[in-house]
Amino acid sequence: MKEFLIILFSVILIDNLVLSRFLGVCSFLGLTKSVKNAMGMSVAVIFVMLVSTAVTYPIYWDLLEPVGLGYLQTVVFILVIASVVQVLEAIIRKGFPPLYKAMGIYLPLITTNCAILGVMLINIQETYSFMAAITSSLGAGVGYMLAMFLFAGVREKMDKADIPEFMDGLPITLMAAAIVSVSFMGFKGVIENLFG
Amino acid sequence: MNFVILAITNPILLPALIGAGIALLAGIVILLVFRFFSVEVNPLQKTLEDVLPGVNCGGCGYSGCAAYAAALADGSEPLTTLCTAGGQDTATAVAEVMGVEAGTVVPTVAHVYCQGTTGNTAERYVYTGPRNCAAAASLFSGPNSCTYGCLGFGDCVAVCEFNALYIEDGIAHVNHENCTACGKCVAACPKLLIEMIPKHELATTVTCKNCWPAKAARQACKVACIACGRCVKVCPVNAIVMENNLAVIDQELCIHCGECVKVCPTKAIREGLLKGPGTRPEAV
Repeated sequence: MKEFLIILFSVILIDNLVLSRFLGVCSFLGLTKSVKNAMGMSVAVIFVMLVSTAVTYPIYWDLLEPVGLGYLQTVVFILVIASVVQVLEAIIRKGFPPLYKAMGIYLPLITTNCAILGVMLINIQETYSFMAAITSSLGAGVGYMLAMFLFAGVREKMDKADIPEFMDGLPITLMAAAIVSVSFMGFKGVIENLFG
Repeated sequence: MNFVILAITNPILLPALIGAGIALLAGIVILLVFRFFSVEVNPLQKTLEDVLPGVNCGGCGYSGCAAYAAALADGSEPLTTLCTAGGQDTATAVAEVMGVEAGTVVPTVAHVYCQGTTGNTAERYVYTGPRNCAAAASLFSGPNSCTYGCLGFGDCVAVCEFNALYIEDGIAHVNHENCTACGKCVAACPKLLIEMIPKHELATTVTCKNCWPAKAARQACKVACIACGRCVKVCPVNAIVMENNLAVIDQELCIHCGECVKVCPTKAIREGLLKGPGTRPEAV
């Protein structure tokens, strides 16, 4: 239990997917103009993250690794994740229309999202057990959501601010993202003190 | 048999086969899922989407033209006249596709309920913050002497996709010729000054939202409604009611006789619509 908690907290706060590992930055910058969009995308990411882990984990450990083809993981994972997202989209569209309405438009964006692939590869690299890999994926998704939520809040405030023309748009957005990222450095060492 | 042994031992053929196998499997799964979970898109919806203007302004109350077309196609939306941007032409075309009789669109137009121009109102303090209404309104309700009035920084102008709003003499105005009644400006105004009114050549409105008592209202703005009640008395169809120190004309009941315009002591009641910068309210 403690092991899972350590993984969960360290992935959310210390090794935050967006703010420390710099994965999924394109959607982080693209979909944080409003809190509503940010949350929709985050929920979709968490969902796909969990399902993809459940699919890619056995593929690696039961198929690729035994025949010594671990190096194929990147190619195979991209293929599998893209297919899984397509299949999920079709199923949700048919079976759960309200859910599709809430996150349907974000699913195609996730098809080749580096955040998903990154987490899959990290899970393999860390040689987690299956449950630990699921926990890590959940944590990564929640961490992504946290970063998206915080940054969307910052950007909504920034809309009203008087920004010099030469910094308006992407420059100020990147600077704000950097400051939010730095704020997460404050969590370094929290896990050792919590569970140490 | 030889081929199988070759495939398993060959360092190039094995990964290629595994990769191709997974791709084939994924392809088959996707094909099957799409076969069993396919959602039929009504062909009517596509036709309707072509007919609608496609500007996605949201004036119909749906999130975009596609959403409205979908609602029409599956029968959940019986009204074919909701498209404000397209007006009568679109309504007729939509009705034609749907095979129903074309209804008439009551055209509406955005109206800014304020006449507090720079000459009519004063500044309470020198505002130096960001040049937008939302920010100005959050600082002591804005620098305007009338805290109900238009701030004139143009948040509505910024959201308008049809170039129908403009700032003149420190307040926003609507050019009725460009306005499609999409309603984006209504949502953008922090002072809730913009409302949709039926588009009539003599549209008569108490163009004021000030709810202060007469003296305070008059001090804040030269053309404020002071709730004297003369218009209420003179109206032949009882279309005017007094609410919170403010006269309000019911646009449904108004017969555009112009009596209230004549008696209003502060000229808070305005008749006619504006055409663009520099124009006066006039019969259209």
